[in-house]
Amino acid sequence: MTDLASPWASAGAVLTVHRWVAVIGGLLLASVAILVVCLQFGATSVDVKTVATAIMHMLRADQEGAATLGTSEIIMVQIRFPRVLMGFFVGAGLAAVGVTLQALLRNPLADPYVLGVSSGSALGVALAILFGIGSTFMFLPILPFFGFAGGLLALLLIYRLAQSKGRLPIHSLLLAGVILNAILTAFIMFITSIMEPNRSAGLMAWLMGSLTAPNYPALGIFLLYVLCVLVMLMHKAQSLNMLTLGEETARSLGVETEGIKKWLFVLTALLTGAIVSVSGMIGFVGMVVPHAVRLVIGSDHRLLLPASALVGGMFLAVADTIARTIMAPAEIPVGIVTALTGGPFFLYLLLWRKDRMV
Amino acid sequence: MTRRQQGILTGMPFMTHVSAKAYVDDAGRRMYFAKPPVRIVSLAPSITEMLFSMEAGEQLVGVTDFCDYPPEALKKPKVGYSNPNLESLVALQPDLIIAPNDFLKPDVIVKLEQLKIPVFILADQNVEGIFVHIQTLGRIVGHSSKADTVAMQLRQQVSVIQRRIQGRAPVRMLYVLNSQPLITVGPGSFIDQLIRMAGGTNVAAKSATPYPRLSMEAVLQEDPEVLVFPVGKAEGISESEQQTWRQWSTMTAVKQGRLHQISADWLNRPGPRIARGLDALAEILHPDSSAGSRAEPSHE
Repeated sequence: MTDLASPWASAGAVLTVHRWVAVIGGLLLASVAILVVCLQFGATSVDVKTVATAIMHMLRADQEGAATLGTSEIIMVQIRFPRVLMGFFVGAGLAAVGVTLQALLRNPLADPYVLGVSSGSALGVALAILFGIGSTFMFLPILPFFGFAGGLLALLLIYRLAQSKGRLPIHSLLLAGVILNAILTAFIMFITSIMEPNRSAGLMAWLMGSLTAPNYPALGIFLLYVLCVLVMLMHKAQSLNMLTLGEETARSLGVETEGIKKWLFVLTALLTGAIVSVSGMIGFVGMVVPHAVRLVIGSDHRLLLPASALVGGMFLAVADTIARTIMAPAEIPVGIVTALTGGPFFLYLLLWRKDRMV
Repeated sequence: MTRRQQGILTGMPFMTHVSAKAYVDDAGRRMYFAKPPVRIVSLAPSITEMLFSMEAGEQLVGVTDFCDYPPEALKKPKVGYSNPNLESLVALQPDLIIAPNDFLKPDVIVKLEQLKIPVFILADQNVEGIFVHIQTLGRIVGHSSKADTVAMQLRQQVSVIQRRIQGRAPVRMLYVLNSQPLITVGPGSFIDQLIRMAGGTNVAAKSATPYPRLSMEAVLQEDPEVLVFPVGKAEGISESEQQTWRQWSTMTAVKQGRLHQISADWLNRPGPRIARGLDALAEILHPDSSAGSRAEPSHE
């Protein structure tokens, strides 16, 4: 468990600038292609030309033009495009948090929901729904704020619980997180059990994870936030490499481990809190995508982190497209799709890898 | 179903004596009552409303946490809801428990059967089914003439509403059960049927499930002319949540300002207030048809 990466460390060649640019460049192109493809599919069929004109309208921020748009353009501009983009960034954030936590906790089972921050966010939303506050403030939806506040409180609590003598021991962080997770989940279940059945169905649907079409101010804030945290995580990629070798080794290599650990914990918690507040709990992306990417390109976090983010984004965008269309006009929770497609694919990768190793 | 099986029973000459007190519930189980039960527990708000409507409130000794109508129901002992507290149920010493088919945990019914407490199960099927339920319960609890009157009046009210909207073009509507994520009612649900009876077309009619999470894209495509939000104390969509729907400025319902609220209890509860719910829905969909009968459902 100490170094999950080592069996696969040989997977990629030594990281060179050339290789980094090739992989990330390739994935970026693939991401754009995937996003364009995802825009083609939905509960209603919209042809390629409409997609193009709709995107043109948006790029010109054509407010007057918006009034003249037809239904299919409105669907494209107001619903499908923001949702696909949102899905991409949620997926990217989940995968990046997964990579970071797997290295930080030195535990291959770590995912964004392991440390209880997600349950804090979910509890915040559950309380808001219980008291019927599901509304908007100014032009922004207010539920995510409750979720985010809940996540922040959970973050502070876990941090205080795990910290001792100015240090943040990994095992107490993990234990405090897991236990708090259980306690908060119990609160959520309590709230669901006392709710009127119709309303608890709404809460359950929210908890199962769902992407909705945010309005543009909300989408803008979210994208900016995710990008900032991703960049800050990237900045610590080399330290993550050291941490996977074990704290002692990392310290002897000159890494200020305590500071790095705290900083990484706070960053991942902030990102998880925000993601859960807008999308509920979408499972599987944060755990499986990092492993899958690591199997293919190796475990150097300078490459693994951005590559996982891009693959996670593509994966969730595609999964959500399936969730939106497979039972149209109804939708299914996207978490079902991520588990049903991601799981078997990961098993396949594992087998493929085993064959090659022999 | 209930009726037909009772019909078969009464048709058997040698059983005529027993059949007056033999009933078959919607789970197909036959039950005999030597005399009307006097300690009844209701496990659904709709059942509580039915019993009060036939003036059998006195016989009711326990209700669910959500039984709030009529106000007298609030004074009755509470036993929980989908997962009722078995001990407090048994402590009430009921001689009959009337339970809905949905949402009750199956093992609760099994346990009650083991304890030899009769459980009469009602399944929601359609509006006429509600009225039949009222009459059946009336006969079981010994208030059959009052129950028959209630059922007859309700049938009249429904037919008056139906006549009012006869020949009118159906209005496309969306019933917003939950807004984030969007959940609505589809074919197979009780409310979907009420929508059709009230002269509406459900925009979720193509969905395959009774309570689908509907795609917002599909909503814009189907372009509802009316949005209906259920509101109530313990459930429903809040005022500001409703306002967020105004962002869809190309939707006919938004353009024409036809965002309406309806009491969730009237439509969600398959009980005696269903006619009032149907009336309110018909009024929302066809406001010009009412001719002043809005305040009170007509009684002619």
